[in-house]
Amino acid sequence: MPITIIVGAAVCVLLAAAPALLSPFLIQFLINFFMLAVLAESWNIIGGFTGYASFGNAGFFGVGAYTTGILLTVGKLPFALALLAGGAVAMAFAALIGTAVLRLKGQYFAIATLGVTETTREIVYNLNITGGGGGLSLPMVRSPLPFFYLMLAVLVAAVLINLWIARSRFGYGLRAIREDEDAAAAMGIPTARYKTLAFALSGGLAGLAGGVFGYWITFLDPGEVFKVSWTIRMIIMAVFGGAGTVLGPLLGSAVLVAIFEGLSTQLETLAELCNGLVVIAVVLFMPQGLIDAIAHRRLSPRKLLQNLRQYRI
Amino acid sequence: MNRFLIVAAALGVASLCPTVRRAVAADDVIVLGAAISQSGKYAREGKFYVDAYTIAVDAVNKAGGVKVGGKSHKLALKLYDDQSDPALAARLCTKLVTSDKVNFLLGPYTSGIAIAASAISEKYEIPMVQGGGAAGNIFDHGYKYIFGTLANAELYLQPAVELAARSTPAARTAALLFSNEAFDKAVAKGARKWLQQAKIDLVYDEEYAPAAQDFSSVLTVIKSKSPDLVLVAGHEENSLNFIRQSQAADVNPKMAVFTVGPPTGDFRKTLGKAAEYVYGVTTWLPEMDLADATFGSAGAFAKQFQARFGYEPDYHVASGAADVLAFKYAIEKADTLDPKKVRDALAALDAPTLYGRIKFNPVGQIELPQTLIQIQHGRLVSVYAAGKVLAKSLYPTPPWAKR
Amino acid sequence: MLSVQVLINGILIGGVYGIMALGMSLIWGVLKIVNVAHGAVVMLGAYFGFWTFTLWGWDPFLALPVTLAVFFVLGYALQRFVLNLIVQAQLFLTLLITFGLGVVMENVARLIWSSDLRQVTPNYQGAHLDLAGLTIPYVRLGVFVTAAVLSVLFLLLLERTRLGRAIRATAQDLRAARLIGVPVAHIYAVTFGLGAALAGAAGVLWGTLFPFTPTMGGPLTLKAFAVNVLGGLGTMMGPLMGGVVLGVIESFASTYLGPTYANVFSFGLLVLVLIVRPTGILGRNT
Repeated sequence: MPITIIVGAAVCVLLAAAPALLSPFLIQFLINFFMLAVLAESWNIIGGFTGYASFGNAGFFGVGAYTTGILLTVGKLPFALALLAGGAVAMAFAALIGTAVLRLKGQYFAIATLGVTETTREIVYNLNITGGGGGLSLPMVRSPLPFFYLMLAVLVAAVLINLWIARSRFGYGLRAIREDEDAAAAMGIPTARYKTLAFALSGGLAGLAGGVFGYWITFLDPGEVFKVSWTIRMIIMAVFGGAGTVLGPLLGSAVLVAIFEGLSTQLETLAELCNGLVVIAVVLFMPQGLIDAIAHRRLSPRKLLQNLRQYRI
Repeated sequence: MNRFLIVAAALGVASLCPTVRRAVAADDVIVLGAAISQSGKYAREGKFYVDAYTIAVDAVNKAGGVKVGGKSHKLALKLYDDQSDPALAARLCTKLVTSDKVNFLLGPYTSGIAIAASAISEKYEIPMVQGGGAAGNIFDHGYKYIFGTLANAELYLQPAVELAARSTPAARTAALLFSNEAFDKAVAKGARKWLQQAKIDLVYDEEYAPAAQDFSSVLTVIKSKSPDLVLVAGHEENSLNFIRQSQAADVNPKMAVFTVGPPTGDFRKTLGKAAEYVYGVTTWLPEMDLADATFGSAGAFAKQFQARFGYEPDYHVASGAADVLAFKYAIEKADTLDPKKVRDALAALDAPTLYGRIKFNPVGQIELPQTLIQIQHGRLVSVYAAGKVLAKSLYPTPPWAKR
Repeated sequence: MLSVQVLINGILIGGVYGIMALGMSLIWGVLKIVNVAHGAVVMLGAYFGFWTFTLWGWDPFLALPVTLAVFFVLGYALQRFVLNLIVQAQLFLTLLITFGLGVVMENVARLIWSSDLRQVTPNYQGAHLDLAGLTIPYVRLGVFVTAAVLSVLFLLLLERTRLGRAIRATAQDLRAARLIGVPVAHIYAVTFGLGAALAGAAGVLWGTLFPFTPTMGGPLTLKAFAVNVLGGLGTMMGPLMGGVVLGVIESFASTYLGPTYANVFSFGLLVLVLIVRPTGILGRNT
C-alpha cells in the first residue's frame, strides 16, 4: 500500500514541522493527544486484537513513569536510557503479570488486571525509593519540543507495531484467540505465548508513554499515575475509534481528546459530567466504533439509532 | 459529512481557540488566571480558593483597582476547573498563559497539583502566587516564579508539642498519625523533630492512605499504648473520622491535635459536642489583630466573606485572598505589568495584609508562626503561639465518659 | 486482647462490605454486568440517608425500607431504559457504560449536595458497649446486624419465591428462561433494581459510620470487587463472608503492619485468589 505510506510520511513531516507553526497551548494539546493515542493503541493490542479486556494498563503506564523517573533522578542516567529502561521494565512487568493472569477469562481477567494496578500503586506508596505519597520530582525541561517529538516518536512506534500486528501471522493468531481461544489452540497457535507477547507489547508501549509523561509533567504521584481513569480513557478512545483496527484508536483519541479538552475549557465545572455523558453515548450509539461507522456509512441519526437495538435484550 | 462529526469537529476546533468568554479585553484590565479543582476529589477545598479569589478581586476593584503608571487598572479573574487532575491543571495553566494571555497566575489547591502548575509558571516566566500548596518540594527546585502563602508544613505542629511538654502533667508519650501525601509527610517530619527536642517519646508513628475511612484498628493500637499526646495530619475528612471513631472506641489522650479541620465552622457544627477540647493549628483567625488596606482588617474580611458566601473563612481562604493582594502590592510597586519586574517586586515584597505579613523567604515561601487553638464551649480559643501561652487551655482532656 | 479487639473491628466493618458486595454480585451473576457504578449508587444512598435525616429527622436505620424502595425503582428504571440496550454487548462496553454512569452520578451529586463533607449523626453515634475490656460501638454493631439481616432476607427472596426462581433461571440460561415465558427484560430490570436497593441501603449504613463526599464511590467499588472475588461469585452467602474476610484482613494488616498496608493486602489477595482459586476462598470447586 504505497499510498498509505506516502500519506503516513506526509503526516509525519507535517507534524514534525508543526511546533514552528503552532501556539504553545496547541503543542501541549498535541503532546497530550499523542500520549492518549499511544495509550489507546497500546490497549488495542491486548483489548482490541486479542479480546482480553485489560483494566490494568494504567499500571504499566505508572511503572514506566516511575522507572524512568527513578533512573533519571536517583540513578542519574541520561533520559534516553532511562526512558528505554522504563519501557523495558513495564514490558517485563506486563509479561510477568501476563503469565499469571492471562489464564483468566473475561471479567476475571479484567478484575485481576485492575487488582494488579491497585496493588502496584499501594506498593509504590509504601516504597522509599519512589518517595511514596510525597511524590517524585523530576528535573524541568523548559522547552516542550523534546516532549512533542518524543511522544510523536512513541506514537509512530505504537502505530507501526499495531500495523505489523494487523498484518502478521502473529496478529492473525491474536484474532483467532479473540474469536475462539480453544479453536485457536486446536489449530496449533501457541496461545499462551501469543497472549503474553501481546500483553507485554501493550505494557511496554504504555510504559514508554508513562516515561515521557513523567518527565513532561515533572512530578509523579502514585495516586495520579496509577489511577483507573487512565485505563478508562485508553479503552474509551480505542472503542470509540474502533477496537481491533489500526487507525481506530488513533482516530478515536483525536476526536475524544478534542472533545474532552473543549469541554474542560468551555464548560469548566460541568466538563466532568459531560465526559461521563460522552462515554455513555459512545457506548450506546457507536459500539462498533467510528471507523466501522464511516466504512459502512452508518453515521446518519437513523443508523445510530439502529445501533441502539444491536445489543438490546 | 454527518452532523455528529461536524459537532465533534466544532467542539474540537473550539477547544483550540481562545475561550469564548474572553477575560482579556481592554488594556486597563489585569487578568489573574488559575486552574482550580471545582470537581473531583479536591472540589471542596478548591471552592475556598474560588471564593477567596473572587471576593479579593472584587474588593480590590471596589477600592480603586491597581495603579500602574498613574492609571487605575481593574483586576479580572480567569478560572478553569482542573477536575483535581494535575496533568490537566498543567495544560490549563499553559492555556491561561499562552492563549488566554493572562497577566499572572494564582495557584491551585493541594501540593501535588501546585507542583505541576508551578513548573508551567516557571517555564513561561509568569509569576504564580499560590496559597494552596505548602509541601517543601514545591519550593526546593530553585524555581524563581513560584511564591507560596501557606506556611512551611514542618512548622505546623511545633506549638502543640511545645505546649504539651510544658503543661501539667507534662506529656511524656505521643502518637503520630499522618496521611502519606506530600504535605502531611512534611508535617510529620517536623513533628518528629519537635517531639525529640521536647523529649517526648514517640510510641506510635504510622502513615495512612488519605482515602482511609476506618481508623478503628489504628485507634485500637493507639489505645493500647495510651499516649498523652495524639497528633493527626490529614484532610478534614480524616480528622472528622478520627474524632468520631475515637469517641466510639473510647480513646482518651490528654491532648489531641489535628492539622486540618478545627478552625472551620463546619467542623464544629458537624461534630457538635465531640469537637470540645480538640486542638488544632492555624496561621490565621478572624480575631487576629491584622490591619488590611483593602478590607480594613481580618475581622472585617471574615464578616464580608461570611455574608457573601455563607460560611466562615479559615486560613485557606485568607491565604487565597492574600495571594490576590500580594499581586496588587507587587504590581503597584513594580509600576509595570512586566512579569519579570513583578516577580522581583514579589520577591522583595513586605506588606501587611488581612492574612498577616506577606514576606517571602529566598525560596519563595511565606514564614508565618502557627497558633495552637482549642475548641472550648463551641468557640475557637487561641491558647499558644510563639512560645507564649495566650489563654488557659483545658488540659488534660477529660475522658469521653466524663464530658 | 488486642488481637481480639482487632478481630471484632474487622468483623463489624465486614457487614457493610458484605451487603455492598451482595448487590454487585447479584447484578454480576445474573446480568453478567460488572457494575463499576456500584460505588456511586452507594454514594447516592448515603446522600439519601443524609436527606431523610436532616430534612425529616428520620433515624437512618428506620429509613432503610424507604431507601430500599426508592433505589429499587431507580435501579429498575436505569436497567430497563438504559442498560438493557447494551446488556448483550462485549464485556468492556458494559464496563465502560457503567463507568460513565458512575461519573454522571458523582457529578450530579456534586451539583445537588456540593462537595462539602456531609454526615449523619444520630445522637447515639458515640455510644459503645464495654465488654470485658473490649469496646464495641453500638452503631457498628447495628450496621453489622442490619447488613446480616438484609443479606438473609435477600437470599430468602432468591431461594424461596417465584421471582427468585425466575431470576435464577435467567442467570443460568437466558434463552431457556425466555422460552419458558420468563419476561427477561423485566427480570433483568428487577435484578438490577434489587442490586441498586442493596447498594442504597449500604450507602445509608455507610453514612452512619463515616462522613462522605460525592467522590466516595470509587474506592468502594474496588472493595466490592475484592469482596466478591474473595467470597466467590455465584455463591449466596459468599459476599457476606467475603466482606467479613476482607474486613478482618484489613484490620490485621492495618494493626500489625501499618494502615497503608491494608490496601496492599486486600488488593494483593484479590489478585492472588483470582489466579490460584478463581472460584473464591469460600466458593465451590468447579
